[in-house]
Amino acid sequence: MGLLNFTREPVPEAVSADMHNLNQLSAQQFSALTEVLFRFLTEPKEVERFLTQLSDFATMNKISLGPLKNIVKSILLVPNGALKRNLSSEQVRADFIALGLNEEKASYFAEQWKVNSPTLTRLAVGQTLMINQLIDMEWKFGVTAGSSELEKVGSIFLQLKLVVKKGSQLENVYVELTLPQFYSFLHEMERVKTSLESFS
Amino acid sequence: MAALREGDFAALQILLKAPSKDAVRQLCQECFSSAPAALGPLAQRAGPGLAVSAEEAEQLVSALHNLTRHVVYRGLTRAEDILCLFPENFHQNLKNLLTKIILENISAWRNEAQTSQISLPRLVDMDWRVDIKTSSDSIVRMAVPTCLLQLKIQEDAALCGKNPVVSALTMELSKETLDTMLEGLGRIRDQLSAVANK
Repeated sequence: MGLLNFTREPVPEAVSADMHNLNQLSAQQFSALTEVLFRFLTEPKEVERFLTQLSDFATMNKISLGPLKNIVKSILLVPNGALKRNLSSEQVRADFIALGLNEEKASYFAEQWKVNSPTLTRLAVGQTLMINQLIDMEWKFGVTAGSSELEKVGSIFLQLKLVVKKGSQLENVYVELTLPQFYSFLHEMERVKTSLESFS
Repeated sequence: MAALREGDFAALQILLKAPSKDAVRQLCQECFSSAPAALGPLAQRAGPGLAVSAEEAEQLVSALHNLTRHVVYRGLTRAEDILCLFPENFHQNLKNLLTKIILENISAWRNEAQTSQISLPRLVDMDWRVDIKTSSDSIVRMAVPTCLLQLKIQEDAALCGKNPVVSALTMELSKETLDTMLEGLGRIRDQLSAVANK
């Protein structure tokens, strides 16, 4: 096997056999299986659904679930590595062929990869580590009418509740701002937006 | 907030024994700024300078505290309004001096009252930086800009007294989060202008 694009490590022995088995599927069966796979890749949280769909596929096509799961594991190696390395559909096709999948199926899979890769890339970026991510912001503002020290006040206050994700927990942070602080905060945030936009 | 009491004005006349006008001025400022609990020690410090007993010093300090706080509470800004507070037989010169001192300090005292009023933790400073994420364990090569925002937040001044506790919170915002936040802030700005223009 030549150099692969999606990984630098040696591929497990079983993969060749799995590809050989895949080649036995009809074009229609392969297309259905590919659809199930990409649906899972674009919604990785739907594990239950994925397993159900795999099981249905196995029953409908009279394949045992155990071997099917192994085949699926082998197939998934490629898109996972491809995502990490930003591979093109050409490279994905070449890798499948190198692994032993026939040209027709490799091309088909590579096409599906091209269609789905923007969504998959966005997902992968979204999974990237974020420190104390800001999840939500609630606000209220009003007028202080009076206090125990001042009978009539009439000053404006702004209160923000920031919901921050610390590790796996959400923490609420409450802050009060004066009006000048608010305008200054708004101004700074607009500068950040300009900066972020210039780098996008 | 303390209310003016009967015996307060009698106690204020002790100021006639003060060595100078500046001493009176100084004492007024200290009495206003002091919390009720700290008036005792203040009286002990002030007593010797006025050559009065400890008890009289306490009455005086308490009376001055009540008077200055009362004027600030009511928001009195005119000399006539302050002079009205004093009883008929109060020493004329002392009354004028106290009124003058109060008028000199009233806006500074008002600001002091406002900054030390109870509130949620306050924003004291804000810093930001924009990073570009170039690589991670889930994607080897990317160019994703992200914003790090640090807010310095001070706990309620009343709880901390002279040693405010400032905590720093650093958080990360994606471009989408920032856009949503700006939308919210923009809405606040619009509502503020609508209120201001009414």
